[in-house]
Amino acid sequence: MTKRRMFLRMITASLLRRRSRMLIALLSIGIGATILAGLVTIYVDVPRQMGAQFRSFGANMLVLSDGEEGMTKDQMDKALESIPTDQLVGAAPYRYIRVDMTTRQQSFTAAGTDFAQITRTSPYFSVEGRYPEKSREILVGKEIAETIGIREGSGMELTWQPTAGNTEGDPSKDRQPGAVLSGSAEGWSGGAVYVTVKLDDSAKIASLTIDAGTQTPEIGGLAQTDEAFTRQFIGKALPMTLGEDVDALSGATVTSTAVVEALNTARNTQSTAAAKTMKYTVTGILTTGGEEESYVFMGLEDMAGLTGSDAVDVAELSVSASAEELEAYAEQITENADGVRARLVKRVTRSETAVLGKLQSLVFLVTAVVLILTMICVSTTMMAVVSERRREIGLRKALGASDGSIRAEFLGEGMFLGLLGGVLGAILGFVFAQIVSVNVFGSSITFQPLLLPAAVLVSMGVAALSCLQPIKRAVAIDPAIVLKDE
Amino acid sequence: MSLLELKNVSKIYGDLKALDNVNVHVDKGEWVAIMGPSGSGKSTMMNIIGCMDKPTLGEVLLDGVDIAKESSKKLTDIRRDKIGLIFQQFHMVNYLTAVENVMVSQYYHSMPDEQEALEALGRVGLRERAHHLPSQLSGGEQQRVCVARALINHPELILADEPTGNLDEANENIVLDLFAQLHAEGTTLIVVTHDPEVAEAAQRTIVLEHGKVAREVINENFEEQQKKWLARLIPGSKR
Repeated sequence: MTKRRMFLRMITASLLRRRSRMLIALLSIGIGATILAGLVTIYVDVPRQMGAQFRSFGANMLVLSDGEEGMTKDQMDKALESIPTDQLVGAAPYRYIRVDMTTRQQSFTAAGTDFAQITRTSPYFSVEGRYPEKSREILVGKEIAETIGIREGSGMELTWQPTAGNTEGDPSKDRQPGAVLSGSAEGWSGGAVYVTVKLDDSAKIASLTIDAGTQTPEIGGLAQTDEAFTRQFIGKALPMTLGEDVDALSGATVTSTAVVEALNTARNTQSTAAAKTMKYTVTGILTTGGEEESYVFMGLEDMAGLTGSDAVDVAELSVSASAEELEAYAEQITENADGVRARLVKRVTRSETAVLGKLQSLVFLVTAVVLILTMICVSTTMMAVVSERRREIGLRKALGASDGSIRAEFLGEGMFLGLLGGVLGAILGFVFAQIVSVNVFGSSITFQPLLLPAAVLVSMGVAALSCLQPIKRAVAIDPAIVLKDE
Repeated sequence: MSLLELKNVSKIYGDLKALDNVNVHVDKGEWVAIMGPSGSGKSTMMNIIGCMDKPTLGEVLLDGVDIAKESSKKLTDIRRDKIGLIFQQFHMVNYLTAVENVMVSQYYHSMPDEQEALEALGRVGLRERAHHLPSQLSGGEQQRVCVARALINHPELILADEPTGNLDEANENIVLDLFAQLHAEGTTLIVVTHDPEVAEAAQRTIVLEHGKVAREVINENFEEQQKKWLARLIPGSKR
């Protein structure tokens, strides 16, 4: 038999055959390790748990298009590549258009989206009924549903009227051959002057109608009726200058100026695409407590079917990451992806970081206190053990045990206790963390494989530290004295 | 040839002279009893010889080494290598079995060897009780385990402090049988006792009184007595 085997035989015998006393030490280490392992599990899991909690409050990052045309699916996918898949909780694309319900003469905002993603990015959305699953199924906001008395299962006919011309940008874009433009400008005493102009094949003015509105009939009002004034515009190109290209109506300079300005700013008011009407089935009524209640939601495919375009305006991202990580991802997206930029929803990310920080320092504090308490408890027990075994220690010394042997034996016993307590603690701690997690966060946690060795190491370390003082006392025992004790 | 020599040894606690200028000489292979009433300095002397205490004054030569001058660490080494101790209260590790208790002594000395430990227990007639815990052994059996433990490392000197103090007569005889056998094998024995019967078993008795050697008594009948002991022992050793 080797010395090591005898050593192990002695310390295991000490623990197994002297159960009652060592049980107390084992219990204190075990309980300490349990709380520690539990807290550490929660500590490790808290960001994930809390992250998930926060993620239920909505998206924390937006990906937007740089241009006005919205972004394509490819652009969005490219942007999402910057975020590790395991951190991306969801990415819901949105496209907003205006639709009419012709039968009711009502007009709503329709949002095209991906319902599977919505359940991830906006878990707080509450649907009475179900989310659309098939094409031609829609979700209706509660406000709309109440206004028009629509229920789950109802049919709904929606019309998309392509935007009447453009209202933004350079009017010169609209001066295409054959286009019909209309415009208005402020004339005499604040009254508006309206013009409608049709362009010929070479984008010159083919015909012109002027509505002088409230201009003084005998003065500015003549702009509407004076053929000589009107005729001079025919065949001319836009834009034009009063006094050069055309002459002012006599005595009505203000009105004439307004006519030219209205012409120069006239836009195409005619639809370039035909209005489209589709029938949908309402599968659910959406309650969110926000403006989404006044929207109609449909799948992106349905929206593309209605508008002929699959571009999206914005993507709402829910990312489970720290504030720093989020910022890095946002920057990366803006840098890497073409034509899109990412923006953080600061309100969400900031509060998340602050709460997590506080929780973690709380766990850290409790952990430290538990560690100290465990050490005191184990140390006290070991002190009692040494005092109870002083005769045995004296005997061992009398038999020739060096101080080193005595130290090794007690440290060995302590660390063996730490080992048992650590294993016990890791298992019970996981159960403890699981119970806490289920009750507090409402979700189960995954067992951290590193927990077992970590708990064992910490327990052994704590046990070893706790044994230092008792060992000092053990080493100081004088065999001559204790062996004479009656 | 001398194994142990105390030269002018005194142990002084404040005003109390536990040992007062004691001179003792023990030859290799000798069986010596140290007798005296309580407070005569027996225990102090036993502690000094057992390397568990140091004298205030004087020299203690054990196998030629003055243990009065050694460090306590060195004393531990000497005690481990040269001395086998037997106590009145037996002193066993209560959570280890008989054989494990013997092996503890081997463990600190050199290498634990269960076979050898079992043989030693066989020698004291406890082969069958080897795997019993101390609580399952009688006092006599416990003391025999302690004898086995003391002799397991083949020490130069076996130092027994009231080895029969807690034993009945039958067990006292068994232990004295074992001592006789050890003596016959050439082991040096020093037995501290206040029991005249135990002292009479020895070759020579040193009587202490008030920390001084009061007298030495040579056992004239030792040879004869030893023959008798050994004769009794032969059937016993085969137990």
